[in-house]
Amino acid sequence: MTAAIYTPIFGIGLSLVLYLLGQWIFKKSKGLFIFQPLFFAMVFGILALVILARLFKTDTATFYTKAYKPGGDIIFWFLNPATIAFAIPLYKKNDVFKKYWKEIFLSLIIGMIVSLGAIVVVSKAVGLNKVGIASMLSQAATTAIALPISTAIGGNSAVTAMACILNAVIIYALGKKLVNWFHLNDTPIGAGLGLGTAGHTVGSAFALELGSVQGAMAAVAVVVIGLVVDIVVPIFAHMIGI
Amino acid sequence: MNNDKQKTKAAPILAQMAIYASILFVSNVISSLMPSSFPVPTPVIGLILLYMLLNFKIIKLAWVDSLGTFLISLIGFLFVPSGISLAANLNIMATEGIQLVIVIALSTIIMLVVTAYTARTIIAFKKHLQETRNKTRNTKVQVTVSHAKGGN
Repeated sequence: MTAAIYTPIFGIGLSLVLYLLGQWIFKKSKGLFIFQPLFFAMVFGILALVILARLFKTDTATFYTKAYKPGGDIIFWFLNPATIAFAIPLYKKNDVFKKYWKEIFLSLIIGMIVSLGAIVVVSKAVGLNKVGIASMLSQAATTAIALPISTAIGGNSAVTAMACILNAVIIYALGKKLVNWFHLNDTPIGAGLGLGTAGHTVGSAFALELGSVQGAMAAVAVVVIGLVVDIVVPIFAHMIGI
Repeated sequence: MNNDKQKTKAAPILAQMAIYASILFVSNVISSLMPSSFPVPTPVIGLILLYMLLNFKIIKLAWVDSLGTFLISLIGFLFVPSGISLAANLNIMATEGIQLVIVIALSTIIMLVVTAYTARTIIAFKKHLQETRNKTRNTKVQVTVSHAKGGN
């Protein structure tokens, strides 16, 4: 029994079942934000591991490493080619990208630096320690880029991964309200760039509902912010002494 | 993009895999050469490489499109293990969980609003620059026109 669980197929199977279950419930609940497939799979996956670890009389961390991680790592590896493939939507949006690349890079770089400052202030205000703050800085990038950067500046990559997932959950849940409250749609380019930065691919899908300019800008931002985070965050972390 | 690109047949899936594998391998080598003080993850290099290869028409879109689009369509699922990796760090969640969630929620709003407003400011500034430039150009044109008239 234990031998069967300690093979990659357990982690792959658990991930698949939970994600598909999440998709089904998400559809049944007519898109309630709590049931976003990824968020659902994260919460119930951790819950399942906690319960199973009790049954196998080990602690959760050991059970995760022995039973889930072998399969999880195989799925995780495919984020590498999938992230590289983001060059394709960027290439397909070449007309807007080439027309506005100066605005895009300037907005994302300056926006990132200001946001990082604000994030550090908020983190210190609630009393996060150094590791916690470092884990918060790279969350704007897509997971495959955010995690290695987070590790490199002394953060905890699991916490950063949670941040990336929660970003998308929050934008899905509150995106419409936030756009209205802050009148973001007055500048379609700005709304698109903001949604792509804060909400990753989910934000990009939501931006497309606002309009084609917003959708294109968000799709570009999801890719470009990864490059911006890669350059800005390590320098910023070094400067504030993390 | 243009029509003839869409008409070209998609490359066989194994050939597409070979292209992604080669790009990954090269990116991995470049990434390992980067200094540890300036880490550049493999996917970042691969993304830039593939974008440049497409832009310089060394690789045709049809050679990488269907596998890439398929991989991107899976991205939500591919994130599941990184989310579940929190199971190995539940002690952090027990001690700092609430603070972390507060910071993440506020960070999301900060990034959305700050980026959008920065873009708005930059676009407004650029428009302002263009208008002033147009004004000076218009006055110059008027001057040359009046000169031409005076000459006649």
